[in-house]
Amino acid sequence: MKTSPKIRREVIENCKAGDERAFAEIVLHSQKKVFNIAYRMLGNLEEAKDLAQEVFISVFDSIKDLREEIRFDAWLTQITLNHCRNRWKYLKRRQYFNSDSLDDPIETEEGDVPRDIYDPSDNPETLYEKKLIQQLIQRGLQKLKEDQRELLVLRDLQGFSYEEMGELLGLPEGTIKSKLHRARMDLKRVLERAAH
Amino acid sequence: MDCEEARDRFSSLWERELTPFEEKVVKEHLSSCPECQREFEQFEKTMRWLHSVGEVEVPDGFLPELYKKMEERERITSAEKSRGGWFNFPLPFKLPVQAAAMVAVVFLVLYLTKMMPMGGYRPKETGQAPAPLSVGKKPEQVLAQKEPERGRGTLKIPAEAPRPKDVEQAKAPLPEEKKFEPTTPQVRAETKRAEAPSPKAEVLAFKQIESKEAAKAAAPSPEPGRIEKELLAKKKPVAATKPHQEIVLKISDREKAISQVQELVKQFGGEMLTTEGNGFLASLPASSFLEFEKELVGVSSTGQTDKGMTRKHATGSLRARQEVKKEAMEGKSRETAKLATDEESRIVVRILLVQE
Repeated sequence: MKTSPKIRREVIENCKAGDERAFAEIVLHSQKKVFNIAYRMLGNLEEAKDLAQEVFISVFDSIKDLREEIRFDAWLTQITLNHCRNRWKYLKRRQYFNSDSLDDPIETEEGDVPRDIYDPSDNPETLYEKKLIQQLIQRGLQKLKEDQRELLVLRDLQGFSYEEMGELLGLPEGTIKSKLHRARMDLKRVLERAAH
Repeated sequence: MDCEEARDRFSSLWERELTPFEEKVVKEHLSSCPECQREFEQFEKTMRWLHSVGEVEVPDGFLPELYKKMEERERITSAEKSRGGWFNFPLPFKLPVQAAAMVAVVFLVLYLTKMMPMGGYRPKETGQAPAPLSVGKKPEQVLAQKEPERGRGTLKIPAEAPRPKDVEQAKAPLPEEKKFEPTTPQVRAETKRAEAPSPKAEVLAFKQIESKEAAKAAAPSPEPGRIEKELLAKKKPVAATKPHQEIVLKISDREKAISQVQELVKQFGGEMLTTEGNGFLASLPASSFLEFEKELVGVSSTGQTDKGMTRKHATGSLRARQEVKKEAMEGKSRETAKLATDEESRIVVRILLVQE
């Protein structure tokens, strides 16, 4: 996983002063990260886009309260995770995920594709298989608990270090490692169940 | 190492976080346990596929759409602000304004309360109707205390004179006494403002009560103490301003008779209120009145007196006295007892001298 270079301090300071260009620069710099976290957490492109926009509105409203510009990335990720948690609860209350099954058609960037039975012995060499695996992973993530999904998204999809994760989630590294291992084993089980 | 311990280390093994010794132990277990070996292969594949998941591109028009949303949000916020203006003011501004408004209201209420005239309608006083009467008693008592110092020439009006100013007026002779009458409805009006808005209505009510008094004597009233107090308050001025009794003396020597009558009045602790030709108005203590009456017979040349009661008032005052005595005996209220003693203490008598 690649981590994007940190945004310049001047840009953040200009944004705090109300500079719209600086805000646009921040959005362009961080939108992919925010959108991807949102998409992996919610599993829906439209919801992810809406949530990412809400995140940037929150950033615009509250960036003047940010004291340490150097911690902007962690601050932004924290806002994104908070929005994701709230949206997840909201969607769950409305039974948004009730029909969600690994047998349902999978929503992809190119449209819905029919579901294939996952076989770990398959070799995902072809593009189709690769996309299929991505969608299966996404569906598998949706089956996990919210905190497990957070850990997998941050560590295995976004490449956060254990230190950063500990800071973000307010947990010691050892706890994060053991929780992450359980989340990975659970994901493996979910994918195995889907294959059989 | 057992299977569970080995499986707990899959993540660490995959991330190469184990020490060389630990790694060796785990790998040895995996090579000896086909089940754990298969599990680790599945785990490794899951991790490889998880890490193969690429990033999704942000949909086109993300930023313009974001700007649009922000503008919309701004418009809604400004509309809300314009609607609920006061609620959107910052608290540091609102608090002092609210405090100042509160202080202003308090001062306004105090100002209005002080400015309200004494005779005005005061709902709070309705439940304390006898209060002004008892207040009116205080100067009266003071007057009674001061009287021995002043001597016996001064006028004493026990049942009246609710204010010190009135005491000054009370010193005037009989024609001046009429000046008290307008004040009596005022006193009554203060005591019964809520129930009797005008003096006329009060007089009517008083007459009705007086005429039905005998009939109602046996019937228990819902608030007997209050009604009796009211009755006393009404009857007292009448009894005090008008003579209770009238005595006609037939005399031969006018000068001598006048001096004798004056001496007698003084002798029995009374006062000469007015002197009009052959008529006197005297106030006497009730206790010594009978003896005074007997002595007065001696002044008459015929040794007889024509004693005529001014019936209406006399009966009224008698009834009042009966009521007061009854109350005092029952000990219902100390105030009523005070009223009763004041009522009893003095009897005003008109003495007419008729030349033979």
